Amino acid sequence: MRRYALEGIHVLDFSWVGVGPITTKYLADNGAEVIRVESLARPDILRLAPPWKDAKPGIDTSQFFASFNTSKRSITLDLGKPRARELVLKLLPWADIVAESFTPKALRKWELDYEHLRALKPDLIMLSTCMQGQTGPNALYPGFGQLMAALSGYYHISGYNPGEPPCPPYGAYTDFIAPRFAACALLAALDYRRRTGRGQYIDMSQYEAALHNLAPALVDYFASGRVAGPAGNHSERYAPHGAYRCADLDGHERWLALAVESEDEWRGMLAAMGNPPADSRFATMAARMENRAALDQFVGALVRERDADELTVALQAAGVAAYPVQNCVDIHRDDNLEAFGFWHWLDHKVTGPSPYEGLAYRMSRTPGELRAPGPALGQHNDEVFGEMLGLDAAEIARLKEERVIF
Amino acid sequence: MGSELLSGFRMLDLADEKGALGSKIFADMGADVIKVEPPQGCSTRRIPPFLDDLPDPDRSLYFIAYQAGKRSVTLNLGSPDGRALLEDLVRKSDFLLESFPVGYMESLGLGYDRLTELNPRIIHTSVTPFGDTGPGRNYKAADIVSWAAGGPMFLMGDEGRPPLEMALPQAGLHAGAEAAVASLLAHYSREIEGQGQRVVIDMQACVLWTLMNEQAMPILHGDYIRRTGMYYTATGTRRRLVYACKDGYISTVLAGGSGVGAISMKGLVEWMAARGFAADWMVAKDWTTWVPGILMKATEQDRDEIADLEERVQRFFNTMTKREIYAEALKRRILLAPVATAADIADDEQLKARNYFVRVEHDTLGRTLTLPGAFAKFSATPVGPGRRAPRLGEHNAEVWGELLRIDGARLGRLRAIGAI
Repeated sequence: MRRYALEGIHVLDFSWVGVGPITTKYLADNGAEVIRVESLARPDILRLAPPWKDAKPGIDTSQFFASFNTSKRSITLDLGKPRARELVLKLLPWADIVAESFTPKALRKWELDYEHLRALKPDLIMLSTCMQGQTGPNALYPGFGQLMAALSGYYHISGYNPGEPPCPPYGAYTDFIAPRFAACALLAALDYRRRTGRGQYIDMSQYEAALHNLAPALVDYFASGRVAGPAGNHSERYAPHGAYRCADLDGHERWLALAVESEDEWRGMLAAMGNPPADSRFATMAARMENRAALDQFVGALVRERDADELTVALQAAGVAAYPVQNCVDIHRDDNLEAFGFWHWLDHKVTGPSPYEGLAYRMSRTPGELRAPGPALGQHNDEVFGEMLGLDAAEIARLKEERVIF
Repeated sequence: MGSELLSGFRMLDLADEKGALGSKIFADMGADVIKVEPPQGCSTRRIPPFLDDLPDPDRSLYFIAYQAGKRSVTLNLGSPDGRALLEDLVRKSDFLLESFPVGYMESLGLGYDRLTELNPRIIHTSVTPFGDTGPGRNYKAADIVSWAAGGPMFLMGDEGRPPLEMALPQAGLHAGAEAAVASLLAHYSREIEGQGQRVVIDMQACVLWTLMNEQAMPILHGDYIRRTGMYYTATGTRRRLVYACKDGYISTVLAGGSGVGAISMKGLVEWMAARGFAADWMVAKDWTTWVPGILMKATEQDRDEIADLEERVQRFFNTMTKREIYAEALKRRILLAPVATAADIADDEQLKARNYFVRVEHDTLGRTLTLPGAFAKFSATPVGPGRRAPRLGEHNAEVWGELLRIDGARLGRLRAIGAI
């Protein structure tokens, strides 16, 4: 029986930063052998981004990188050098999948684009993922996820009220949408190749993938001209619906997220909050929707001195969806994530042990796992160039000196 | 019609908005996705807004967008005959996706043990709000509650004001897409070994995966990140991410660095200088090493420069529209983006050039609607929404009749007793 779902699958991974690496992480954590091809000549910017061990920057101290590249190996090649290209081509027969996330012309320049690689390996599956796709007038425009979140509409629907400046989702939001689509693409393409023997090229525009999480608003605009905007925490269907401040805990602010979706839930909420006197402004869902501002104040006053964790238990027991608004300390003490086995403590070669985000899925027969933290830069040079490609130690040393392996 | 990518595989979709995007991805890739709806219809038919604001089970924009390409049958799982029909469907399917409360399938006698008895190849994927074993396994989760539980909500919003979610709920979409990935992982293994498996998705964890690794800040840097509105503050300096312009907002991160960062800053400063908005220090600056407050802590001098730069850029952008600024940024390779609205996206030249949006005939509504197209361009097996979302029970006849070979008399009986 196979230990991992993707045992025996090999991935040569030229991608970097968020989308590509998170995509190939799905494969690596499930047993595929993934080799990241990096270079000190253009280090993955995630290696240079916080959080770092002890808050100290360094090429191997970023957990941002280590987390998105679990279970992978790292080699270094300066692809601008002809000898580096030869080594890539020596690895090509081994690879089922090549993934990359350069801007579109880089691989063409190095003659490592799909047309070149396919000539040597006809059933290759290749994923190119970049900001706006391989074709079109803006194909070469660089960018990163934070800007993509603005371009693909997420900033505009984020905020307290129309007319106020946007309050964007945190960070490079679309970097966390596209990888799930890209992983589906690679997995389905692998299965298609298994059935038909045919590989293929996958051109993923992170912009186009990200727009799927906004689809209803886009369909609406094309059909009716209506432009979706920010709405605070208000729902179009339910009230109360929002985040309400509870009692502080050890000097830290605590909020409770809450959604009351029926009359039963409303009664349950009131009971869990100590049965305050009835208020006719809130007697029905329609009335509550009508008087949302007053309702938010009413609920806010009921919970302001209460403990968010205790309220969660009481509200959920009454059938009401509620949970504390958790900060990055809270999520490490969360009983439900703990029970799911979410956090993985991994011992990184340079930064030592720390908790890594685990898998958001659990498979009964072939469970994935974080097999190792992300590699140090070039950690597997000797193993890959020596053991896999059969280069002797002297030649590897020479290639390092010539900054081919770099 | 329909993609060849997953053609020949069938998914039974019993999920609500916690799974809809997952089965939509399968449908886009050519799988035969059968939505198994209760007689009153899937709850996603009631999600507003509605097309032309007319509430109707076929007019929910959510339903139109995320149930496209699927077939629909109606089935009453409360009736023994209804459950028997689902068992018949399981025998002829490869995947079953559901998002029922934990334990519900077991209570119907349709837990994974039973499903695998019926069809050892079946992959049974359950989307759960908080996993299936912890103290919260029976907790309810509305989208905003998952957004809160996973961590991103705490980081979104202004200091001193409530944490925020986006106007279009996102948690269920992340969980649905994750369900598609995990189901396909199980699929690859199954196609080699012949044996399906049970997959459980934890929606809270799916949402947590949007945190940019900020989870590690308390352990590595000693403190957690607070929400700071339109500013980036992870390295202790407030860096502005949003600037007003004539008709809306622009997002940019003013930072240099080797590569595209310095090109971007140089391009912006040249453009500002030509229009009389740049300070002398900005023109003289070597931008290749200037990334304060983004990748490094800022010095006193950096802070002064940041303040001056951000103020000047704000004044500069105020003189132009989103479209003017973005057009020039594209030419000069300045890293910025308009804070785009649905209208801007619909009009975007890049998406038009790649024929991204697709028109899908909705004969039932007398309309042709425009939907997001392929999530990626596949050279051998193009994907995308092939046909409109189904009417309730639209495919009863073909599924019960052609797929399960139930004859007319038995269908009549099943209808009469409320099984379908």
